[in-house]
Formats: sequence, structure tokens, C-alpha cells
Amino acid sequence: MPEALRTRTWELLLAAVLVATVVYNATQSPVYLDVDNFVNLFHLSIEKVIVAIAMTFVIVNGEIDLSVASVMAFAAAVLASLHEGGAVPFAVAIVIALAAATGAGLLQGFIVAKTGLPSLVVTLAGLIAFRGAARVLVEDRSVGDFPDWFRSLGRDEILGPLPFAVILFFVGLVVGGIVLHRSTFGRVVYVIGDNPEVARYSGIDVARVKLTLFGLSGFVAGVAGVLFAARLGSVRANIAEGFELDIITMVLLGGVSIFGGSGSLLGVALSIFVVLNIRNGLGLANVEASVQTGVIGALLILSVLAQNLVDRALALSQHLQDKRGTT
Amino acid sequence: MKIRQHVALLVAIGILIAACGDDDDSETGTADEGGGGGASGETVTIESGDDMSSILLPKCLGIAVFDQANEGAQEAAGELGTSEPEFLGPATCEDPTGQIDTMTNAGTQGVDAVMISNNAGEQIQSGVDSAVDAGVSVVSWDSPIPSGEGESLFVAQVDFDETGVVMADMAIDIMGEDGGELAILSASPDAANQNAWIDAFETALQDPQYASIELVDTVYGNDDADESYNQALGLVDSHPDLELIMAPTTVGIAAAAKAMTDEGLCDTVKVSGLGLPDEMREYTESGCAPEFALWSFVDLGYLTYYVTYGLVTGQLDASEGQAFVAGRMGEYTIETDPTRDQGLRIVMGPFTVYTAENIDQA
Repeated sequence: MPEALRTRTWELLLAAVLVATVVYNATQSPVYLDVDNFVNLFHLSIEKVIVAIAMTFVIVNGEIDLSVASVMAFAAAVLASLHEGGAVPFAVAIVIALAAATGAGLLQGFIVAKTGLPSLVVTLAGLIAFRGAARVLVEDRSVGDFPDWFRSLGRDEILGPLPFAVILFFVGLVVGGIVLHRSTFGRVVYVIGDNPEVARYSGIDVARVKLTLFGLSGFVAGVAGVLFAARLGSVRANIAEGFELDIITMVLLGGVSIFGGSGSLLGVALSIFVVLNIRNGLGLANVEASVQTGVIGALLILSVLAQNLVDRALALSQHLQDKRGTT
Repeated sequence: MKIRQHVALLVAIGILIAACGDDDDSETGTADEGGGGGASGETVTIESGDDMSSILLPKCLGIAVFDQANEGAQEAAGELGTSEPEFLGPATCEDPTGQIDTMTNAGTQGVDAVMISNNAGEQIQSGVDSAVDAGVSVVSWDSPIPSGEGESLFVAQVDFDETGVVMADMAIDIMGEDGGELAILSASPDAANQNAWIDAFETALQDPQYASIELVDTVYGNDDADESYNQALGLVDSHPDLELIMAPTTVGIAAAAKAMTDEGLCDTVKVSGLGLPDEMREYTESGCAPEFALWSFVDLGYLTYYVTYGLVTGQLDASEGQAFVAGRMGEYTIETDPTRDQGLRIVMGPFTVYTAENIDQA
């Protein structure tokens, strides 16, 4: 099965890159290997990597969700404005914010599933609309003064050195991995991503799966938005702006095909570790943020080229095998 | 398999590229003890000796006044014979999370000090806490940590309440005794200094001598030239009787003056606030921005570096009433910051008000 082989090869490559990055960083900075640094490295990007898990499902399914960062801001803005209004207890406000984000995802999923419009277009509209909604809710103010327990949820360590969001990420990674790779639902996600027509003819309710995935994507973005609000301690309408690109970059670098049907969550996890470690290493070396972004961009281009080379290599070896078989 | 080797090579190159630029190891903190005057009443003269590794963290990169502050800090580092401070900041002022990242990493790196112009409001606190826990001295300049927690002290460019009065005076001067409608164009809603100045300005306007001035709106251009330009034009659209845009930010005031000039609105809407003479000269001479004020950012960076060095080497201990001499800037005294609930500050000053008469000398 060449698809699986391709994924395995890619995972091996990423693992090698990860090891190289870690070794290099460790030789460059004496503090890199500190436990606190590893926690920081995740914590400073934790909202993005949580969303990347859900994005993996969406892209494997052959779709894309460009609206995630706007939905994050939307959820945070709903939370902030409810808190400001003071009509509901804070815990209820969180539930409403998560429901609003899930609704945002379901709405887009419904349009994609029912009308057959490309998700690229539908979620691009979502990117604009939900950012706009966030701006309507908190205008250009900075809304904060959240309860202490909420702020501590975003900052304090609750298990050893690990803050809540970091634990949630690793739990999400394991659960996501099991669902995507070990369950019937996960199988169906791949089949649809590979060929939606075949899936439809095999009796799979394609529309329903897509609806579920976009709802999930909205919900997870909502969770990330709320966690971001907790970590920052206040909300502005422009929070998380541009995050969707970083998130999609991590997923694609993880070997997930933009055309759907292939890739693994393990690959995405490895790619997340690679990106975060490179950023962290560059940060400790006092390299400017804009240069860091350039480096990650270069890595993505190289990865696309490399994927292409891997594909051709596999095709070549397949071809040679076939030839040997026939003669 | 040959091709696979190629792939590995490509990726390895990627990593190499990623790792470049990482040549100067930041020296981890050495200086701790050292001669100390303490708060014993006598004036401490800050002297060179130990090294100091530090980061100068502006609100964002690419803004002229912060480059000037860096110039001043480098000058001070040269005089004190320390390693050069790293000038690091987010690419845009729009996103405050970059400051949190740099602050948090500073704790991991174990630098001696971070000097920050805070653009993240209360959001910076988690970063400051982890830096301070790791033994980093945090000194704020230009824009403080609102809570004052974790920060050793704040090097204020001017007294923030005085800023309000200076802006009110410029407003009444430009608008005349009959006053009129005025709007504020600020930087970002999380910038503590901006918010303090706007508060001080509003308080100053309560005084009967400014009763004819009506503050009709406050908008935010996030220290981005385009955004500020559009916000300024938006103000003119939404307030047809607007007579003055007050922008307490160098990016905002220049963008507003350009917008009014481009649209030929300078006869009806004037611009004032805090601006850089170099960026404002043509508008002041044309009468579009007849008056604005500022202080020296080079001096601010210089003074901040001296104070930080004094703290890190133990020559100063950040206590109220301590007096010290900072190189060419002369003598200052540490005081409680009346503009915040808690925190210490030193006030640099003075304000210079620029008009068509004196802008040539600036």
C-alpha cells in the first residue's frame, strides 16, 4: 500500500528532523533542555497546536477550514462581552461561547455539505464574517477583568510543571489519534477524503461526516479561543489574527495531503514538535519573530518539494517492481 | 535509495537555515553583587564594572522613536562597557503576544534584565512573572506594567498627568477660546501609557478653562501608519464639526497630519499630540499641525539602560527616595508612581512643545 508507505517515510523524515533540531538547539543554548523551557515552548503556542489536531481531520477529509482563527476570536469575544454584560455567571458564559463556536462550525459545515460549495470559499467567508462578529462584540477595546480562577486556568501549572491547556493538547492528541486511526469513523474520514464519490456509492453519509467535522473544528477553535483569553487575561477583537496559516502549515508539514485521504496524526504531532522547537531555538538565539516566520515558510516549501521527491521515488520503485514482475 | 538521501539532505539544509543567525551566545548573568549605595540617603553615582546581558523590548520594531531609544541604550552600554543590549520585538504593534513570548524566553535564557515598553497591558503579566521567577530584572520604560507587579521600576518619559495638561493646553491654543469638537487617535487599546495619557487628558479637560472643548470620540490606529490614516479620515466622516485630532502617538499624529493634508482638510481640521520633529516638520510649517510635543527617546533609552545597570549590579535597590546620577543625564530620584496603584518610577522629562518657531532647531 503506497499511501501508507508514503506516510511512514514522511514520519521517519520528520523524526530525523526533530532529532536534528533538538540536538542542535541543545548544543546552542544551555537552557534549551530545561523542563520549564519545554513547557513554555508548548504553552506559548498551545492554542494553535490544539486547533491543528481538529484541522488534521478536516484536511484528511479533503476539506479545509480557514475560519478557525476568526472563530477563536469570536468565541473569546462572546465570552468577554457576556462577562462584561454581567447577566450570566462566568461558567455559563464559557458554555455559551463554546456553543457559539460550535454553531459557527456547524453552519459552515452545513453549507459545505448541502450546497457542495468548496470549503475554501465557504470558510474564507467565515474567516471574514466571524472576525467581523468579534469586532462588533468587543469593538476596538480590550476587555478583561476575568475571574481569578479563569486566569489561573490559563497560566498555572496543575499537574507537575504542566498547565491545563498543555495537558489538554496531549490528551487531544491521543484521543484524536485513536479516533482517526483506530475507529470506523476515522476510516470513513479517510475514504471520503480519498474519493467522496466512491464513499457515497458505498453508502456512507458523506454530508453528515462533513457536518460533524466542521462542527468539531468550530468547537475545538472555541476551546482554543477561550484558553487564549484565559492565558492573555483580556480579549481584543484582533486576537489570533493570522493563526489559520500557522495551523495549516503545521498540518501540511506533517505530511497530510492538501487533497485529502492521506497523512497521519503522528506526522502532524511530529511536525508540531519540529516547528515549535525551531521557533523556540531561534527565540532563545534572539532571532526576530519575522525571521522565524521566514524560516518556517522555507521549511514548508522544502517539505512540499521533499514530498514530491518521495512520491516520485516510490512511483519509480513501484514501476521497477512491476517490470520485474512481468518479465 | 538515492532519492531518499536527497530528501534527507534537503531537510538537513532546511534545518541549517533554520539554525543560522544563532552565533552570539548570550552570556548568562554574572553580575549580582557589587558596590551598593543602598537607600542610605546619599546620591549614588552609577559606575561601570560588571557585565550585564539584557534585552531592550520595544512595543514593536520599525518605529523611529524606538530605534532612537535603542541608540541611547547602546550609547549607555558603550559607556558602561557591558555587552550590547539585544534589541528584540514583535514585527507589528498589533499583536502583543510577541512581547509575551520574548519576555518568557528571557526567563529561560537567564539574561540579567529586560527593558520593556509594554504594549500588552495586563496580558504581559504571565511573561513578567516567569521572567522574574527566573531572576530577571524587569524595568519598564515608555509604557509601564499596569499592576506594577514584577517590575523593578518604571522610567517615565514625563509625568503622565502633566501629559494631559500639555495636550489640553495645545488644544485650546490651536482651537482658540471658543473651542469646538476634538477627537483622540490613540495607538492600541492595550498600551498602558496611551490609556494613562487619555485619562489624564480627559481629567485636564474638566478644568473650566477648557470648558469649550468637547471630546467626541476615541479611536485606535494600533501604531500602524495605514490603519491610523484610515481612522483619522473615519473621524472626519463621522464628526463633520471636528476641529482637532489629538494623537498622543508619533505614528498616529504623523498619519493623521498626512491624511488631513492629502484630503485638503487642514483648514478645518488641525492635528496635534505627541510627534517626532523629523516626521512632523512639513506639517508644522504648513500649519496643519501647528503645535505638538515630545521628549527625547535617545535620552529615554540611555537613562533606562543606566538605571537597569544600577539595579542589576546592586548599586541601586529600587527603593523610594533613592537618588542617583546616570551618566550625562545627571541626577534623578526614585519615587512612588502616583499614576498607578503600585509601582515606582523616575521621571525623565522635560516636554518640548514644537511650533513653527522652534521646529528648525529640532
